[in-house]
Amino acid sequence: MKQHNLAFTRRSFLAGASAVVGAALVIPLRFEKALAQQTDAQRMPQSFIRIDTNGRVTFLLPTCEMGQGTHTGQTQILAEELGAEWSSIVVEMPKQPLPDYRIPFIGQMRSVGSFGIRYWHAPLRRAAAQAREMLTQAAAARLGVDSATLRSENGFIVHAGAGQRIPFGDLVEDAMALPVPENPTFRPDSERTLTGRAVPRLDTPAKITGRAVYSIDVQRDGMLYGAVRLAPVFSADVDSIDESSVSDMPGVVAVVRVPRGAVVVANSWWQAKQAADALNVTFTQTAADTLSTDEINSMLREALDRTDVPITTLRGNAAATLSSQGRIVEAEYSVPLLTHVSMEPINCTAESTEERTELWIGTQGHDVLRMTLERGLQVPAERLFINTTYLGGGFGRKTHGEIAHQAALASRAVGGRPVKVLWAREDDVQQGQYRQTMMCRFRAVLDDTGSITAMRIRLAGPQMGRAYGFDPERLAQVTGNLANFDPFSLSGLSDMRYVIPNFVVEHAVVDLPIPLCPWRSIAHSFNGFFFESFMDECAVAAGRDPLAFRRSHCTGQTRMLAVLDRVTEMSRWNEPAPDGIARGLAVVESYGSYVAQVVEARVGDGGIKVDQVHAAIDCGHAINPGQVETQIQGAVIDALGAALRQKVTIRDGRAEQSNFYDYPLLRIEEAPSVAVSIVEIGSPLGGVGEPGIPPLAPALANALFATSRQRVRSLPLSDHG
Amino acid sequence: MTNFNLNGREVTIDDDPSTPLLWVVRDTLGMTGTKFGCGVAQCGACTLHIDGEPVRSCVVPLSEAEGRSVTTIEGLSQDGSHPVQQAWVELDVPQCGYCQSGQIMSAAALLAQNPKPSDTDIDEAMSGNLCRCGTYLRIRAAIHRASEMT
Repeated sequence: MKQHNLAFTRRSFLAGASAVVGAALVIPLRFEKALAQQTDAQRMPQSFIRIDTNGRVTFLLPTCEMGQGTHTGQTQILAEELGAEWSSIVVEMPKQPLPDYRIPFIGQMRSVGSFGIRYWHAPLRRAAAQAREMLTQAAAARLGVDSATLRSENGFIVHAGAGQRIPFGDLVEDAMALPVPENPTFRPDSERTLTGRAVPRLDTPAKITGRAVYSIDVQRDGMLYGAVRLAPVFSADVDSIDESSVSDMPGVVAVVRVPRGAVVVANSWWQAKQAADALNVTFTQTAADTLSTDEINSMLREALDRTDVPITTLRGNAAATLSSQGRIVEAEYSVPLLTHVSMEPINCTAESTEERTELWIGTQGHDVLRMTLERGLQVPAERLFINTTYLGGGFGRKTHGEIAHQAALASRAVGGRPVKVLWAREDDVQQGQYRQTMMCRFRAVLDDTGSITAMRIRLAGPQMGRAYGFDPERLAQVTGNLANFDPFSLSGLSDMRYVIPNFVVEHAVVDLPIPLCPWRSIAHSFNGFFFESFMDECAVAAGRDPLAFRRSHCTGQTRMLAVLDRVTEMSRWNEPAPDGIARGLAVVESYGSYVAQVVEARVGDGGIKVDQVHAAIDCGHAINPGQVETQIQGAVIDALGAALRQKVTIRDGRAEQSNFYDYPLLRIEEAPSVAVSIVEIGSPLGGVGEPGIPPLAPALANALFATSRQRVRSLPLSDHG
Repeated sequence: MTNFNLNGREVTIDDDPSTPLLWVVRDTLGMTGTKFGCGVAQCGACTLHIDGEPVRSCVVPLSEAEGRSVTTIEGLSQDGSHPVQQAWVELDVPQCGYCQSGQIMSAAALLAQNPKPSDTDIDEAMSGNLCRCGTYLRIRAAIHRASEMT
């Protein structure tokens, strides 16, 4: 056979933290004190910027690039403050999940929570300013001039008066001898040329030529391929495997037992997949073998009525939320299980022996991989090496570690040879790790003026946080809640910003035998729909315009009001809607940003068609407005697909959907036009990757109500005909 | 043995002729720009050209490539200079980027047949290419931009 192993360019960060050759100026990246004090992790000395004597500038910190544009934004921040030449900057990822990389607010090394820019902006900017001052001082000494006469630009320290310029690299060794200034001076805003601009993404050239390396593309010498055959019922395991049923099939090398199934290893993935499908395997019976969506819904509905549920969050007077004085509005909502279907299916390449385990994986959850392999294979952290590639989408799903365990087991079964284990799309859709299904009951008390005086919210469903080892009782104590506080279930309810004097949130916990995994915007993905739909119901009950009603509950909420005002202007909300167009509004705060959206939809014989979405975001200062725009546009399209048609349903203990034909993403002809406006009123930096999701579903449902007077209280819309 | 032309070079492959062309291109030939997304021609990530026609290589058996010319994203241009690629750069289309090889191959085939596509033409040609990042708006704009360039 003629083999062509064509060389492809690996992104430099794929190589991990490269050894420093020769002298280099290295400045650690440290979080601000206020943030660092939340945890024991006072500093993160393993994250750094480095300037080599050849002028190359490298930064290494633990956030992956999964499409959110974070590496480009971080590079803008660094290049701007340092005065570095754009193309001299190299992004690297840590190769080991060491304690120093744990993010203070979450206590783990993860790329989640839309924090890539908002948490790394200050450390990057400070380190860059420190390095710039040191290089400038070194240049001042060499030139015998006052450092105030020098400027840093495009990788040089420049003395304009004398027409002299020294490249950074030439100053590195002198700068290394200087103390790191504690309080560097930052460049004034008036000198900004890189941040606040739609600078092109660093990764676009690689991504339009097929050169970008995702973990599915990793090639290692002698590599074998693995396909999985896993129990269709989530809690089941293997009862028996007849290896001889596939041992004669072409290319098959090994059948490897893994938790809840097997990996078939072969010379090519296609051969492995044929054999995995043909493998004669039986699975254990479990109590969940008869589980169905109907049964799950009954459990959730029952939990809505439970009387033993403690109050989690209380503002004002709990009794007032039960009052029958005034106008009472009540409603119940629900959302289904969702799966992530990142375009790159789940995969990992491993070389693993008792001595050493090396992974190639596009992951959001480095510490989850560490914990999974510590638990499953007793791999000590210091013997685990992770090469982080680009991720072909993450959306929360790639925080999970099972695939790494499977790949390591497969590699060990073939003597430590590299094995790339790849799930088929059907495995991805059917093997759990779902966004949780939830129900929610609201009760509001309105006074004579149509203001909400009290609101009681009962959420029913699983605790997503438990899947990540966060103890809701402990979190309640830390956060000042009363009991059982799981932000992965309650965010968007417990911390909502409307002024409602008497307010109660409870969570009736229902444990489900289904593996769960956060989905883009986590709890906001459903609580945004619940809360902002219910606000619309309250506005209708009060006989008021949905915008005016919301505004009247936003006293003192400057950021809420700012995005509402902007979206009002964009959508001409205060003018009558054009003929045939129904409009709906929603506003949600998540991940430090506020997003208001107006959906313009028309309902015809062919169902609902969304023509236009207006979105206003306050994310503080937009480091890259082009990326903010495209993240919000993408989030709207993503959320619209989910709201219209997506659900995972369970029958006989297993998922009924299997691929894109029954778990449909939005297609190009269904994508509305999305106008994005960025509101800058001096707010702190907020996240961007997730906050575009939560307002879409309620704004859509509110638009439908505006035209049909039918209130959609469960998703997806396709369930309602 | 199956013989075909890949990006201008003759190749001889002894994989099982029923193997989907996607896996031959990716794993046997090591050209990983063409992506696996669904395996059932539902997402378009594996789109490449056979004799200039866009096909979903995850459902095309190797045998169908016999004697024909196969073009992958790596062969669309040597250096990203195809007008579709240039327009993709100009409008900064990709986010995660995983579906973009397939998007670009579908768009290039569309423009080869229809140099001035309408929005409806674009919808028809691109409907089979999914993107969970939701980059469709920039894809549409970039196809119009590429159309202007050519």
